[in-house]
Amino acid sequence: MEANKKWYQLDLGLGNKKTSQTTCGCGKSSGGCGSTKEDSRQATQSISAAEFDAAVEQEIMGDTAVAQTQKDGFQQVFDVKMDRRTAFRKLTASLLVGAGAVHTSCSITTSGEAKEKAQIDWEEQFKGNYKLMTQEEKQATVDRLVRSYQLRKKKNIKMTATDASKDVLFGYAFNISKCQGYMNCVSACVEENNQDRNSEMQYIRIHEMKDGQGFKFNEADDNYYHEVPAEGHFYMGTQCFHCDNPPCVNVCPVEATWREEDGLVVIDYDWCIGCRYCMAACPYDGRRFNWSKPEVPEEEVNKNQHYLGNRLRKKGVMEKCTFCVQRSRSGRDPACVEACPTGARIFGNLLDPNSTIRWVLENKQVFRLKEDLGTEPKFWYFMD
Amino acid sequence: MKLVRLISCSMLICAAIACKHNEAEYHSLKEKIDEESKSYHDPGISSEAFLGDVNTIEITEGGHSFLIPERKSQMQSYACSECHNRPLGQMQQKGKSKRAHWDIELNHANSNAMNCATCHNGDNMDETLSLTGNPIDFNRSYLLCAQCHNSQFEDWKGGAHGKNIGGWAQPRAAMTCINCHNPHQPQIASKWPVRFNSHMEEERK
Repeated sequence: MEANKKWYQLDLGLGNKKTSQTTCGCGKSSGGCGSTKEDSRQATQSISAAEFDAAVEQEIMGDTAVAQTQKDGFQQVFDVKMDRRTAFRKLTASLLVGAGAVHTSCSITTSGEAKEKAQIDWEEQFKGNYKLMTQEEKQATVDRLVRSYQLRKKKNIKMTATDASKDVLFGYAFNISKCQGYMNCVSACVEENNQDRNSEMQYIRIHEMKDGQGFKFNEADDNYYHEVPAEGHFYMGTQCFHCDNPPCVNVCPVEATWREEDGLVVIDYDWCIGCRYCMAACPYDGRRFNWSKPEVPEEEVNKNQHYLGNRLRKKGVMEKCTFCVQRSRSGRDPACVEACPTGARIFGNLLDPNSTIRWVLENKQVFRLKEDLGTEPKFWYFMD
Repeated sequence: MKLVRLISCSMLICAAIACKHNEAEYHSLKEKIDEESKSYHDPGISSEAFLGDVNTIEITEGGHSFLIPERKSQMQSYACSECHNRPLGQMQQKGKSKRAHWDIELNHANSNAMNCATCHNGDNMDETLSLTGNPIDFNRSYLLCAQCHNSQFEDWKGGAHGKNIGGWAQPRAAMTCINCHNPHQPQIASKWPVRFNSHMEEERK
């Protein structure tokens, strides 16, 4: 991928030809059925993705396909060939922002603040994918968001764009024998991560399960309200497990979610298109969708924010646990770990041989959910 | 024919190379953790700022060094000898109705295994006593608990039992036994959950 490309193209898998076929469809391992020859010709004729794009543009798709290379900023959007429908769609979306911007910037009666707001909206509308931003671009968007909040709410927030540190891989352990089902973790998580109070969104679910019957999620109750711990029951929590091989990431058509270097699976809320493929792909019910505009009372907004973490979301985007990226990257425990009164939650650096999480993994009988899927969750369960 | 053989030969080599996962270098997360932690360097992140205003002392037990909250300065009327200036036997008066520590009820093991004197020294109330009669400082009261609760002690040293304070990075700080368990009634009482999701209840009706 070109160094300064700020978006992703849909990969139809045509650019990367498989060259590892040793047996052909007929079942024979040596040549002779005729199809091997065909395959090998294809293999020798393999072309790069860029060449393919160019060829597609010229020959097959005519003026509907778009090969975007080496463009940035507004050019990404405007300097391309597109069909009429796409053009109309883009124009109407951009016009809403643009009309506002033009109106405010050309008007002699509007204040400087309104102009600045319009300018910020404009730049935010056309920014690239966070994952591909340089450090300066990350800082610029964070600064814009902070300023935008300041202009709209007259309040200051602190937002960071701290990157993953080298030699850090976050992991989590959950002690099933210790959890008593108090749900302090859920409350702390909602407050820390500015989750929608209207729909009572919660990243964490605590499941009350019957003793001696194993994990039966369909029979478990995750919304109980009685004195806990209830006789003959145990409690276990689920949330995003930050899989090392996350299935949710692979299905995202716009690469708005990805795995960071320190193992956190994060979302760029401004790049997410709300298709919910990731929600369907997650085998652990780890992802949440904003069906309505998330609302947090101004006095309850956690103002210590991270771009990839608890900054305020909008309607129609995915969100989920980030192991409190705004806390964990600076060395602090996630809110759930801090709030748990039982010490059932253990968090730490998997690469540090002296960390407590490593001690748990090496000295307790640990297991993970649906290990056979190969998703490699970094969230282990254990018992005393 | 020669060409076909050449091509299939080169494809075999390709296949051998492609056998290694194309995106991941490791076969499992465990392998990855083991390999990558061999060259581990402290990332230079500190959790010190998140300890809050807890006074801590550093302890080393079984090769693990970490901080625990200091206890004596938090006890309401330490030193005990400010009142207990005579041996306990001389201070106890039969028949008087008002007693000090009237609110302490011992509900720990049973009376065959434990009474006040199992841990407290009637002749020197400023220190506790091990089962063999050695003094144990109030700041290190976990040593008293560890006499019986050995498996919990092992887990606590490693980090599997007991709550971490502040952050995951160095310095490690953990609650000690008595920060969560009342030593006189170590059972933790049941209580109500702190929240109930009424939206979820509505949705599932």
